[in-house]
This record gives sequence, structure tokens and C-alpha cells, in this order.
Amino acid sequence: MSPITDTNNAAVRTAGIWKIFQQEAEEVRAVRDVSLTVDRGEFTALAGPSGSGKTTLLNLIGGLTRPTRGQVWVAGREVSEMSNRELAKLRLEQVGFVFQAYNLLPVLTALENAEFPMLLQGVDAAERRARVQELFARTGMEGLEDRRPGKLSGGQQQRVAVVRAVASKPALVLADEPTANLDSHSSEALLDVMAELNRDLGVTFVFATHDVRVMERSRRLVRMVDGKIDSDETRA
Amino acid sequence: MHARVLVVLAMRNLRRQLRRTLLTASAMIIGGGLLIFSLSFGDGSHEQWIDSGVRLGTGHVTVERPEFRLRRRIDDRLPAEVRRRVEEAFASPEIAPYVVATSSKLSINGLASSAAGARPAQIMAVDPVQESAFGMLDERVVEGRYLEPDDRLAAFVGAEMVESLELRLGSRLVVQAQDAEGEIAGQLLRVVGTFASGVPEVDRALMHIPLTTAGEWLGSQQDVTNVGVLLDGSAATARVADRLERVLADPVARGEARVMRWREADPALAAAVAIDDFGNYLVQGFLFTIIAFGIVNTVLMSVMHRHREFGVLQALGLTPGQTGTVVLIEGFTLTAVSGFLGVGLGLLCTWYFLGDGLDLTAMMENLDEMTFSGVAVDPVIVPLFTARRIVQVLVFILVVGAMASIYPALRASRIDVTEAMKFDR
Repeated sequence: MSPITDTNNAAVRTAGIWKIFQQEAEEVRAVRDVSLTVDRGEFTALAGPSGSGKTTLLNLIGGLTRPTRGQVWVAGREVSEMSNRELAKLRLEQVGFVFQAYNLLPVLTALENAEFPMLLQGVDAAERRARVQELFARTGMEGLEDRRPGKLSGGQQQRVAVVRAVASKPALVLADEPTANLDSHSSEALLDVMAELNRDLGVTFVFATHDVRVMERSRRLVRMVDGKIDSDETRA
Repeated sequence: MHARVLVVLAMRNLRRQLRRTLLTASAMIIGGGLLIFSLSFGDGSHEQWIDSGVRLGTGHVTVERPEFRLRRRIDDRLPAEVRRRVEEAFASPEIAPYVVATSSKLSINGLASSAAGARPAQIMAVDPVQESAFGMLDERVVEGRYLEPDDRLAAFVGAEMVESLELRLGSRLVVQAQDAEGEIAGQLLRVVGTFASGVPEVDRALMHIPLTTAGEWLGSQQDVTNVGVLLDGSAATARVADRLERVLADPVARGEARVMRWREADPALAAAVAIDDFGNYLVQGFLFTIIAFGIVNTVLMSVMHRHREFGVLQALGLTPGQTGTVVLIEGFTLTAVSGFLGVGLGLLCTWYFLGDGLDLTAMMENLDEMTFSGVAVDPVIVPLFTARRIVQVLVFILVVGAMASIYPALRASRIDVTEAMKFDR
């Protein structure tokens, strides 16, 4: 079945999506009937208490899991019915991820980690290097290119993760609690970096967060409660 | 590009758990070394058995009439045309490089008698010069000497027959057999030497006499019942036999000749080699099953510890198949590299014994001679390397490596990405 093309120029659109998990005999409705559109260039935070469905919604948008019902479009492509292979391609080409636990590959250097998605995309070495060097310069990571993740601080690792997510020029970056493991100084610095990338390069960011600082810096705040959207505010 | 990334990831992961990698590799190295070592000695001892069997018998390949094996009668002489074609074939460039010696024999059953009694005898009329190069009895002289080209009424007799007929060097004995005319003919011979092959049935019944003597006695002139060839190794048997079958296609079709490989001529020896090989393969199979489980365990443990990492890889765009491929490359590389090193180690250890062999005489202290299936077993085993065997071992090791990596690779490829990302080491 070929994916349906969404004519809307949104980075992400969901229409009535549900995610229901079976936990032993109990049915857990992690996401309930969520319809959401995130336009290109937005800096959006999904906020809410633990168990409100933020991470699950992020995973649904990123094609890491499939909705039980409803549809998801990423960069105009409907992803709900995609095969594992197609989802992998979508993630590679259209989505960048930033995780709470950084999740850099320990066997690769900072530079190699940042280049990794571009390596998979087949971007040539000179361009890869140029893009990463530019982003490392913007994020204050110059001189740390050859360090393995174990030799970097949490804040530095997360900045490498942000560069990795952005360098391959995805349609959107999904960041799940990116500041949760960082101290306040590192969190502010990281948010500065992401805001700058959003402003200068037009990268679309969607965060799942508890962090007030992230909520304050976001231009749009979507609050979730019990798997549903409770409020959706856009600031000037 | 993808392939290179997958290989880099796999190699770095192997290096990351260096101690675990080295431990598993060392098991594989020792296993590969043992495999080469035991197979080289197994092949070497089998080659010795075969060499002993074919030199006491009719060679690696022999040409004879189809009925000869059952009857061993003078009527089963090879037509002169067949003998000529065979001798030409032995001299041809396709066969000559493999030939160590050839021997044309007239082999018949008869009766040997002395003043002490009579015994059934297997009378083998040979060209003494040819047979010295072909057989091994001239090396097993107990008393006297082997036949010489000028001998006429001479007999070289098995030690047990000599004893049972109460003969000694210079004694006369009479042999009787059916001649070319179908009459019973007798011949007086003198014992010029005795031998002990180590194979009782041979020492009890066999005697060598000159082919010229037999020709005159039996009226068979220079006719023979077998033309055999001793090759520089049993591996050339099939090639030489196939060539002879092509050369002799017409006589074979007419039922005048048959080409026999040593396996057909001596099925007991072939069975002994096969059974011994089977036993070796069984032990080696067990050994490698254990090693394979070690590899499965190492690779699987590595997969379990990297659950989250595999989730990350897939989140970043690696397909499940590519994730599994990383694991497959790890297991395969680990096995291949250590397997190759093991084969190298095995070759090195075996190399040491190439000159003098491994002397197991001490294990035969209560035995003068060990024999089976008409073969005298040499207690000094000289290992044998063949390119075919080394390739077989390498392929076997690679297959074991690939098989042992399949399950961990499947596990890595079938992870639930979101669950894997929650995985906490």
C-alpha cells in the first residue's frame, strides 16, 4: 500500500491516533485520540506529568512504534502502514532524535557519532565533515571531535546528540527530555543551541519535557493529561 | 557505504570487549589447531594404512579381468592388447607424474607341498625388479633374500608357510596349479628367502616366484592377471582410474577388463578408513559443538548488553536486517580470524612431526606387529597435509561461525525499539 500524501506542508500531522498497550490483562491507553499538527520551523514542547503519553506520542511521530488507530504524517508521508524497512528509511531521512540518556554509540568518537546518520545516508565525507564542524563550532564542541562518549561530560554528550540529530537535515527533531540529566547551566546552554539552530537553520523541534525551562523557551506548549491533549498554547 | 559502517561498528564492538573476545578466540584457536592436528595425523595414518595395503596387494589402481577376484585362475589372464594399452597409459603425461611404480603379476591359487605336507598357496609370479619398487616384501626379509632378475626356480615364501611345511633356506618345495591348457602342472622350486609381512594370512599363504618361471611352468609365457600401479598418494587414485577407464572403454565394455580402485580391491581397508574417519569426525563434531556454544554465548551476551544500543541504531535509521548484520559480522569475524589462527597454529604444531613422525612404539610394547584388514600398522605416524583438507577445515570453521552467530543476530534484529531504548544496563 503506497503512503497517502498529506497536502498540508506540516512537519508532522496526526489524526485521531491511539496507542493502546496490553499489560497482562489490563489495557493501557497511552495515547487517546490525539490530533496534532506541527508546522515546519516550530519549537514545540509536549508537557505533562509522567504517564501522560508524551514519550509515546513522540515515539509514534518518530515511527519507533505504530499507532493502534489513527494516522501519522511526517513530512507529508503517512507512516502508520509503513514496513519496518520503510520506517527505518523515514527515520534516517526525516527524523532526528535526542534522548534523555544521550544514547551516543560508545564505540564511535564524538565526530563519528555526529556523522553517523549522514554515513548511513551516503553523504560524502567532505560534506559530512563540513556540516559537523560547523555545528560543533556553533555548539562549542570544537576540539572534542576525537573523544569517545565516555570522555565527555553529560552536557557535551547531549550537544553531540543534538548535532547528530540536526546534521543530517531532517524534517524534524524529536527530543525526549533532553535536559533531564543535565545541570541547570548545561540545560540552558543546550537550549540556547537548539533555539539558535531552530532560528538560524529553521530546524523543527518537538520536545517531550517536564522541564520548566524548556516550556518557557518553547513558542508552542501542548499539555497532555492521561494520553490526551489538554491544552495547546502558542506564544507570540 | 552502509556495509562499511556495519563492518566498522562490528569491529569496534569486538575490540570493546577485548577480554571476552580474546577468551572466545582462544577457544576457537585451540579448537582449530586441534582439528588440523588430529586430521593431519588421521590422514597420515590412513595414508600409511592404504600404502601398506596397496603394496601388499595390487596397487592403488589395478586392471584385471572381472572374474579374477573370485577365481584367481590362470584363465583370467589379461589380453595382450589390454596390457599394452594400460602400460601406454601409465607412461602418458596424464598419469605418469603420479606413478611411483607399476607391477604386472600373474596371481593364481595353487598348492605348495614339501616332505612335511601340503598347504594351499597364493602364487604370485612377478618381475623381481618391478616388484622391488612396487611391493614391500623385499623390505620384510626374515632370512635369505628377495628374488633377483636372474633367478629361475626360486621362491620367496611367507614365514608361516615355511614353518608349516618345515622348510628352510635352500629347501625344495613343489607347487602345483592349473596350467594354460587346463592341466594340473607341478614345479620344483627352491626357497631363496622368507618374509614376515606382519599380516598372518599373507605370511601363511603367499609366495613370490619369477614371472619367467611361471610362464614356462604354466605355459602362459609373459601373460599376467593384473597390472597394478602404485601412486604417489591415494588422492590421485580417482584421476588415474578414470583415465584408465577411458583408455580401456572397449575392453571394459566387452567384459575383458575391469579397472579397480584400491577401495574396491580392498573393501575391508576402505571400511576401516571410513570408520576411523567417522570416529574422528564425531569427536571433532562434539568439540566444535562445544566451541560453537561458546561463540553463541559470547555473541549473545554481547547482544544482551547492547540492547539499548541496538534500539538507538534502529532509531537512527538502521534497518532490523542491518542491525542483525552487525552482530553476524562480529560473530563471523571472531570465528574466522581465530579459526584461521587456529589452523595456522595446528599447521605449525603438525609441521614439527613432518620429518620423523610421531612415534607410538611405546604404546605397542607387547606387540611385535599390529595388523588389521591385511594391513600392517606402522607405529610411527607421519602427518599428512593436503590443501583440500585445510580448505575443508577453514570452510567448516566459517560455517560454525556463521551458524553460531545467526541466533544472536536474529535476537538483535527483532528487538522492539521503544522497549530497547528503556533498557538499562
